[in-house]
Amino acid sequence: MTPPGWSYDPSSWSERLPLIGLALVGFGIAGYLALVQLGVFGRAWEPFFGNGSETILHSRVSRLLPIPDAALGAAGYLLDAASGAIGGRARWRTQPWVVVLFGFAVGPLGAVSLLLVILQPVLFQAWCTLCLASALVSLLMIGPAMDECLASLQFLVREHRAGRSVWRAFRGGAP
Amino acid sequence: MWARVCGALAGIWLMAAPSVLGYGGAARVSDLIAGPLAVSAAVIAMSQVTRPIRWAALPLGAWVVIAPWLLDAPAKARVSGLLAGVLLIGVALVRGQVHERFGGGWAALWRRGEA
Repeated sequence: MTPPGWSYDPSSWSERLPLIGLALVGFGIAGYLALVQLGVFGRAWEPFFGNGSETILHSRVSRLLPIPDAALGAAGYLLDAASGAIGGRARWRTQPWVVVLFGFAVGPLGAVSLLLVILQPVLFQAWCTLCLASALVSLLMIGPAMDECLASLQFLVREHRAGRSVWRAFRGGAP
Repeated sequence: MWARVCGALAGIWLMAAPSVLGYGGAARVSDLIAGPLAVSAAVIAMSQVTRPIRWAALPLGAWVVIAPWLLDAPAKARVSGLLAGVLLIGVALVRGQVHERFGGGWAALWRRGEA
């Protein structure tokens, strides 16, 4: 269902399936890197930067948390995929909370993980091919995910201006 | 689209330049941060709905031009920064095609009568 004033429906499956696919690719990469950090695989696949992946994957920063940092990334991609998959072709209007959660997971959370990858070569003077690939996946998702988020936010603003409950609309209870 | 691609290429160049040209110190750190930010802005601005993000390349480009001078970097870093920075400033000014309609866009969230 196309939002008013829009030329297409940002919640259609042709808009969302590529994003779910990207999230699953990101989950695969981050999951593999987490298993490397846990010692399941000996060394990460690294075609370009020599010992770079080892330096970064076993850095002090990667051990700051009780679980490997790549495992957090993998969980983030799962959240992207799940919140991208829930709901139908009108979910920008019927389930705005899912769309806003999806936008938050892909946008701000994706940007934070992107910044962490940016800091790696600065802090450790090393590059990690699969970390960069994961960052690229996060980056590619941001723009295409934001249109749906905008449609939901516009819908909530319209409800507010019409004097109806934004909270009810947010939860998906709008008539 | 070509403007976004040029912006991304300028960013990738900044990420590689310290290693390729062989300079370190503060100029290296500056380029290793400005580079990925330029790539990110360019890729996000590829989507029509987030095209306004292209403007991020303007301050980034200005910084990339002046940073090597402020940070006392070698001549090759100054030339690299000048070229990459001017390119970033240039692509920030190019809007590119936006043929989809978004119900008034992001401005509709705070401007009445457009949502």
